[in-house]
Amino acid sequence: METALLLNTSMLLTLAIILTPILLAPLSKTPSNSPTTITRTVKTAFLVSLVPMILFMYSGTESITSHWEWKLTTGFKIPLSLKMDQYSMTFFPIALFVTWSILQFATWYMASEPYTTKFFSYLLTFLIAMLILTIANNMFLLFIGWEGVGMMSFLLIGWWQGRAEANTAALQAVLYNRIGDIGLILSMAWLASTTNTWELQQPLTPTQTPMLPLLGLILAAMGKSAQFGLHPWLPAAMEGPTPVSALLHSSTMVVAGIFLLIRTHPMLTTNHTALTLCLCLGALSTLFAATCALTQNDIKKIIAFSTSSQLGLMMVTIGLNLPQLAFLHISTHAFFKAMLFLCSGTIIHSLNGEQDIRKMGGLQNMLPTTTSCLTIGNLALMGTPFLAGFYSKDLIIESLNTSYLNTWALLLTLLATSFTATYSLRMTLLVQTGFPRTPTNPPVNENSPTITAPLTRLALGSILAGLLITSYIIPTKTPPMTMPLSTKTAAITATMLGIALALELSTMTHTLAHPKQNTYLNFSSTLGYFNPLTHRPSTANLLNSGQKIASHLIDLSWYKKMGPEGLGDLQLMMTKASTILHTGLIKTYLGSFALSILLILSTQT
Amino acid sequence: GEPQMAAYLTHQQKVLRLYKKSLRHLESWCIYRDKYRYFACLLRERFDKNKDVKDMVKATELLKAGEEEFWANQHPQPYIFPDSPGGTSYERYECYKIPEWCLDYWHPSEKAMYPDYFAKREQWKKLQRESWDKEIKQLEEETPADGPRTEALPPARKEGHLPPLWWQYVTRPREIPM
Repeated sequence: METALLLNTSMLLTLAIILTPILLAPLSKTPSNSPTTITRTVKTAFLVSLVPMILFMYSGTESITSHWEWKLTTGFKIPLSLKMDQYSMTFFPIALFVTWSILQFATWYMASEPYTTKFFSYLLTFLIAMLILTIANNMFLLFIGWEGVGMMSFLLIGWWQGRAEANTAALQAVLYNRIGDIGLILSMAWLASTTNTWELQQPLTPTQTPMLPLLGLILAAMGKSAQFGLHPWLPAAMEGPTPVSALLHSSTMVVAGIFLLIRTHPMLTTNHTALTLCLCLGALSTLFAATCALTQNDIKKIIAFSTSSQLGLMMVTIGLNLPQLAFLHISTHAFFKAMLFLCSGTIIHSLNGEQDIRKMGGLQNMLPTTTSCLTIGNLALMGTPFLAGFYSKDLIIESLNTSYLNTWALLLTLLATSFTATYSLRMTLLVQTGFPRTPTNPPVNENSPTITAPLTRLALGSILAGLLITSYIIPTKTPPMTMPLSTKTAAITATMLGIALALELSTMTHTLAHPKQNTYLNFSSTLGYFNPLTHRPSTANLLNSGQKIASHLIDLSWYKKMGPEGLGDLQLMMTKASTILHTGLIKTYLGSFALSILLILSTQT
Repeated sequence: GEPQMAAYLTHQQKVLRLYKKSLRHLESWCIYRDKYRYFACLLRERFDKNKDVKDMVKATELLKAGEEEFWANQHPQPYIFPDSPGGTSYERYECYKIPEWCLDYWHPSEKAMYPDYFAKREQWKKLQRESWDKEIKQLEEETPADGPRTEALPPARKEGHLPPLWWQYVTRPREIPM
């Protein structure tokens, strides 16, 4: 009994600590918020949130608390209910740890910017929305968190609003998320009308859930988690400052879609069509993003496409009916992806704003800590045995291999795994090794502990997180235990092939052969021609149809043809037909009189 | 006199622009410096071979062929310097660059926080009012009848005058804000 009380109290205390700077500071006379106070707040919240996680790990206590109720109708009530199960209790410390490291890094990164406190307040608001999304027990609170993270994403991507590309990217993010929101609201409406509740813990009937709400949920996850079809906003979101990319677009916001599918998993389990859709969509997304990442030259875009690819892999795991494994991948991915972004942030600042890897090189000697952490992060991403990524990624590929569901998805995922290794190694080779291609005397700096401490913390997390989480969380489904050796080593073999490909390509770039455009390079560089093919026609169609409705339909048809001109044309037609009879000869008129009198006489009698 | 900008480019300017952009795209293709230097030398030799062609028709045909070859061989993601148009930090701080006339709208209590600056500012504004008519008169005299040929502004010609439109250059905002 006491454990549940301690659990609830500590979770609520975490949320309260996070809310303090946002709620208290505007009310006091002297605005006392600063980047350091906000960082310290998040650190405290992280330490407090370790309590419920350890409680859960040792006693398995879960709880659902309900605090207040909004009574809409007598049948439909929306309580403010929080669900503290394994997902939220594991996610809280991880999200807070990553956010703490990113905020500490951002105190150095954004030091030369005006309005840093506003920036940190935005990041904190985003964190609050994300934690609300995670801990929500009903769709209403989840929706609040969902919209909150979307809004903060818009504000943070467009932080430097003087830049036209930043505004375009922010708008793109909002619009693509909105398309996903249509799906979410659709499924919420279905749930409200059919099951009369928005609570998540009531499992639905064991019979198959109809496709409509599931399609809505999958559309919502497509929009938020940048699956293929609604993916262009994620690479464009790299216009925001690096701490924004590290927090939102790698660890926390983009996993909200996958988290939604994990939470509503009981609905998905029985409908195998929906699961297959998730599987194929995820496989396509992961391969497409990995292909695009192969030829990118901006370091942040490479890591963005890497995130997109891993999100596709998480969708594949959902499609395999393994929500817990997807959550494990979310947790481990948060660590090394945030670290990769922070390393790239250090590199960018050290080279005075340079983001192109063609102008980086030899940084291993100039930035030893950063490049070591970059290497650790890339190794974890590739699924090197016993680092963090291995525990989730290898399990996913083993499960995919032994599930015998869809060979096409398996092939795509394995190909994407080898591409992951290829572009990671390409990035590492071009950034860290070789002779420096940077301008002479760049302001290389990793001296202060505000840079090295977050990086080393996240590196430690990248190495240990996988082991720790798998040791303490009991899996709900038995993982595949026996498989042939070739199946067991499929992931590592694919990674090795990818590494070999990258090494081969890098030796080829050293040879004296003039590089040219070819079909595959063009496809990958232009991101599959997706952006011009979809952005221009859709807006052009909308505007054209609007113009046609305004000019042709309303002006021409309703006002003219249905009214005066239409009547006039009808009259003209009839007159033209009857003019033939108007000959002007008296005989014709006498004949017509006689004809009509005869007709009247014949009808009368 | 000095060469002035006109509405059209000379042949020399076109050739030099083609050379520079093909070198930049070559740099985007050939990442390693030694390989780039090798191909850059080959490219320079190709340009130098036709350096002394005097027949303008043939020279223009060569230029057109060169432009088409550039278009076919360009890099899909050419390297753009961060502060150049299209780069990653271009116009990044534009939102913080507020024009100087906003300072006139400050509340007196806010202006009282920087008394020296605003006292000096009043003198600067007085100087601006005094020299404005002389600047306009100089510009009207120096512009040709059918409009200016170039965007360059002339320097001050007479003793004690200030260069025309100096205020917008003196009061331009910082490149990187504080």
